[in-house]
This record gives sequence, C-alpha cells and structure tokens, in this order.
Amino acid sequence: MTFYEQEVRRLSILMYPRPELSRRIIQAKEYIDLHFQGPVDLGSIAGKAFLSKFHFLRLFKLHYGMTPHQYLTAVRLREARRLLAEGLPVSQVCGAVGFDSVSSFKGLFKRYWGRTPSTLKKAILETGPAGKV
Amino acid sequence: MVDDQKKALHFYTEVLGFIKKRDIPMGEHSWLTVVGPQEPDGTELLLEPMGFEPARVFQKALFDAGIPANMFQVKDIQAEYQRLQGLGVVFKMPPTQMGPSTIATFADTCGNYIQIFQV
Repeated sequence: MTFYEQEVRRLSILMYPRPELSRRIIQAKEYIDLHFQGPVDLGSIAGKAFLSKFHFLRLFKLHYGMTPHQYLTAVRLREARRLLAEGLPVSQVCGAVGFDSVSSFKGLFKRYWGRTPSTLKKAILETGPAGKV
Repeated sequence: MVDDQKKALHFYTEVLGFIKKRDIPMGEHSWLTVVGPQEPDGTELLLEPMGFEPARVFQKALFDAGIPANMFQVKDIQAEYQRLQGLGVVFKMPPTQMGPSTIATFADTCGNYIQIFQV
C-alpha cells in the first residue's frame, strides 16, 4: 500500500468514522441537488436523515465545508449562471432556480459571482461561457 | 510534467477526452496544452516536458508514494472507472469512499498518477 493510500485510509477513519452517517449526509446533499428549484425545507431534510436539525447542520458542514443553506444557495446560483448563459431573462431565472425575490436573488448573485445577473449575462453572451467574467 | 509529450497527448485526448489546444514547437519539445471539451476557452492543462532534472526526482517521489499530480471531477465515478478500464487504463486505487467523496487513481502513462473524484 502506498503512502497516499495509507493517508486516504487514515483520514477517512479520522474525519468520517461513521460511514452510515456520511451516507445519510450524502443523500441529503443529493436531495438538494435534485429539488433546489422548489421550496426546500432543511428541517425536513434533517428529519429524513434521522438527525436533529443542529446535528444535521454540523455534520453537513463537516462533510461539505458549508451549511446546507449555503450549499442550497450555491447550487441555485450556479444553475442561475447556466440559465443566464442560455439567454433567459433575469426574472425568469430567479424563479426557475427557486428564489422568491428578484432583489434578494440579485444581491446573492452579485456576492457569489462578483457581478449582477444582467452584467454577467451580457459578458457571457458577448465572450462565451468561459469568457473573462 | 510528463516524460513523453507524444504519449501524453495521446492519453489525455484519446483516453481522457481532452482536446488539444496548443502545440507550438519549442526546440525538442513543444508548448502543449489541452482543454476540456465543454470549455474550449477555459483553463488549459499544460503537458509540460520533463526538462529539469530535479523535477524528475520530485515526480518519481510523488509517483512512488502514490500521490496524484492532478485531479479531475467526474459526474459518475463508477461509469468513468468502467469506461477507462475498458480503454486499458491501469488503476492504482479503485473507486474508494472517503466521507462525502469517492476517489480513484490511475497512472497517466507519463510518470504521474491522476485522481478522479465524485462529490
């Protein structure tokens, strides 16, 4: 066994000693991946994982480096960028990725991507999806 | 870094699915880069020739320790594992669960291990 394989094994045991819990957190993350377009109740996801809300939040952050709510927002904003690149209007994108308020969407989008949805959309459409935006 | 650019170009394009972006002659080697097919104007992966002796020592130390030189995210690691095995890729580590991610490593035939992962 190489040094790297030993390290993978050591860190797995150290960081994720209970594979069953990891499996439940992965399922919760996959639920968010599939259902982010609609209302996502993180309390009910915790319940489906048979975990208290606090325990779920702590474990999710341990596994993914962010809270479930931050992850949900990131998934929505990544999809929003993709839809904007297809030329969809900002208001339509906002609803399509699960945000209720356009102003809140615009604020979150700017914080995440560094530009407002409309300026980033313009830049993408002018330079292509991998443009310097 | 790769110990044979011609072999590396074959592996990274024909096996891994990258696209050649630049192949500019530079003496005995070339400025050789590949890109992902979905982002032809995105980040380029430089297949740098092994032209600096201490680098060879470093690359060998990484390889002997099984440490990947690079890693790429995949959507379905089991499917990718099957596909690459079918193309003759030799895996050092089969898909292995590590908390929220599953990782696998294989040799790139040019002196490196590459890791693929699914999160």
